[in-house]
Amino acid sequence: MKAIVDCNSFYCSCEKVFKPHLEGKPVVVLSNNDGCVISRTDEAKRLGVGMAGPYFKAKEIIESNNIAVFSSNYNLYGDMSMREMGTLKDLVGENNVEVYSVDEAFLNLDGFNGNFFNSAMDIRRTVEQWTGIAVSVGVAPTKTLAKMANHIAKKNKTVTQCVTVLDSREKITEALKKTKVRDLWGVGSQFATKLSSYGITTAWDLYNLSEEWVRRYLGGVVGVRLLKELHGEESILMDKELINKKMITTTRMFGNPVTELNDIKEALATYTARAAEKLRRQQSAASVINIFVVPKEENKNPTFRHGPMIGTHTILPSPTVLTNELIKPAMKMAERIYEPGRAYKKAGVILSGLVPDTSIQSNLFEPPSKSVGRFLMEMMDNINFSMRDDVVKFASTGIKRNWKMRQEFHSPRYTTRWEELYKVK
Amino acid sequence: MEDNFFYAANYKGSKDYTQWDVPTANATGFGAAADDYAERGIDLNEQLIKNKPSTFFMRVNSDAMIGAGIHNGDVVIVDRSLEAKNGKVIIAVLDGEMLIRRLELNDNKKRLLPATKKLSAIEINESNTFSVWGVVTYVIHSL
Repeated sequence: MKAIVDCNSFYCSCEKVFKPHLEGKPVVVLSNNDGCVISRTDEAKRLGVGMAGPYFKAKEIIESNNIAVFSSNYNLYGDMSMREMGTLKDLVGENNVEVYSVDEAFLNLDGFNGNFFNSAMDIRRTVEQWTGIAVSVGVAPTKTLAKMANHIAKKNKTVTQCVTVLDSREKITEALKKTKVRDLWGVGSQFATKLSSYGITTAWDLYNLSEEWVRRYLGGVVGVRLLKELHGEESILMDKELINKKMITTTRMFGNPVTELNDIKEALATYTARAAEKLRRQQSAASVINIFVVPKEENKNPTFRHGPMIGTHTILPSPTVLTNELIKPAMKMAERIYEPGRAYKKAGVILSGLVPDTSIQSNLFEPPSKSVGRFLMEMMDNINFSMRDDVVKFASTGIKRNWKMRQEFHSPRYTTRWEELYKVK
Repeated sequence: MEDNFFYAANYKGSKDYTQWDVPTANATGFGAAADDYAERGIDLNEQLIKNKPSTFFMRVNSDAMIGAGIHNGDVVIVDRSLEAKNGKVIIAVLDGEMLIRRLELNDNKKRLLPATKKLSAIEINESNTFSVWGVVTYVIHSL
C-alpha cells in the first residue's frame, strides 16, 4: 500500500502556526512580489477568493471580509516543510518516504499489515502535533489511487477527518465512480478534454476501458500506466530523491517595472550569482548560460498576461562553477537584448549543459587562476550560508537594488532567524 | 512488520558524525597518549534538542515567569511533541493568544500560573478556547 500525505493550504497553515488567533479565519498567501493568491484556507475559498488569481482582482473580497493577507515567506515554509518530512521519516523510516513537493510526500507502506485507517490517523495527528501543520492522508494500493483517496479526504474534511483509505475492491470502485477524470493525478486539462470527447468523464469510465483501446487512443504508454494504476497494479514506483537538476533557473518578477539598463544588469547579476550558488551546491558546472527578460506589454491588457519573453544564450568556452565567469557573459547579453524606452517586469537566468564538477576538478591543464577562483567561491558560499543574506557579493549585483521584490505583508522568519523569533508574553 | 511499525522519535539534529570527525592531537613528538581518549566534543544541539522536527525557539517578552528563572529577553526551547503534564511550563494558546505559563491540572480544573505576584492565575473555563502549543524544555539566559 502507498500513502500520500498532503498539507492543507500549506503556506497558510505555516503562517497560522505562529498566529493562533487566525484559527478558523480566512487567510491567503500571495506569490513572490505579491502578484497572485497562491494559498488560501477553506474559509477564504468559501468567501470566493480564487486560486492563482491576481491579487488586485481579489483585493475587494479580501478587504471587505477582513481576510488576513501574507507575502510568501519561503524561509518559514521551507523550514516547516523540512519538519513535516522529518516527522514522516521518523514515523515510517527514511527509505519509505518520497518527498514529492514542498508539502506532499508519498509513503511506502508495503509490509505493514495493521489497520491502515488507524495508522493514517496516527500519521495525521503526529504531523499536526509536532509541526502544527494540518495534513490529509490518502492510502491505497497505488500512488494514483492514493492521490485519488487524498482528493476525497480533502473534499469533505468533517466527514473524512482528513483521512481516506481505499483498501478493498468495493471502496476503490465507489471512489472511482465519484471521481472526475480531470481530478486524477497526471491528467491535465488537455487530456481530460480528449477523454470527455470519447465520453469518458469519471475515473470509473476510464477504469472499464481495455488496455488495447487505451494504448491506441490515449497516449500509448502513459495511458496504459494510468489504467494499470487504477486497477491497483503499481506502475509508478517510489522515486529516490531527485538530487541533481539538469537545469538551474533563477527568475523573479521586479517589484516595479524596470526601465534602466543598469537595474536590469544588477538584477541579472544577482540571479546569476544565486544560480551559480545552486550550481555549486549540487557540484555541477554549467556549459551554457541563458538570460531572458519579459517586457511589460504596451497596451494595458486586462487579462494580466505577460509580454513575450526575450532571451539569448552564450556557450561557455569550458564548463564553469565560477560566478564571475558566468556574470561576465550575462552582462554582455543584457546589453545586447536591452531596448531603451521599454519597461521590463521580469528577468531570469538559466544555467544548462550541466556536467559533474569533478570532471573539471581533475583537469591537469586547468590554469591556476581557476583553482584560485574555486577557492574564492567556496569561501564566499561558506560565509553566505553561515551569515545569510549574501554578506559577500559581487559588486555588479548592486547595492540599492531598485528592482527588488515587493513584499508588503511579510511575516517574521520565526524558525530560521535568531533575531526574528516569535515573542511570547 | 507489526503494529509497532512506527519508529520512535530520535535525534536528527547535528550533522552526520563519523570516526574521522573526532579530533586528534596530531602531535609530532610524544603526547599522543591523549589520542587514546579522543572523543567527539559536546554538541549543544544534541543535548538540548531531543526531537528536531518538533522543536522551536521563542523569545520571552514579559516577566510573567521570572520566578521560574525565565527572564524578559530570554530564549526558550519548546518541544511540541511532549505531553503537557501538571506542573510543566508550557506555551499555551488562550483565546488566540500565546502565553508562557505553568500548567496546573487539578481534577477537572485547568489553570495557567504565572511566576510573579504581579499577574494572577488564569482559570480556564468552557468559554475559553484553549490548547497547548508546546512544552518548554530549556531556557537560554544571557548573563
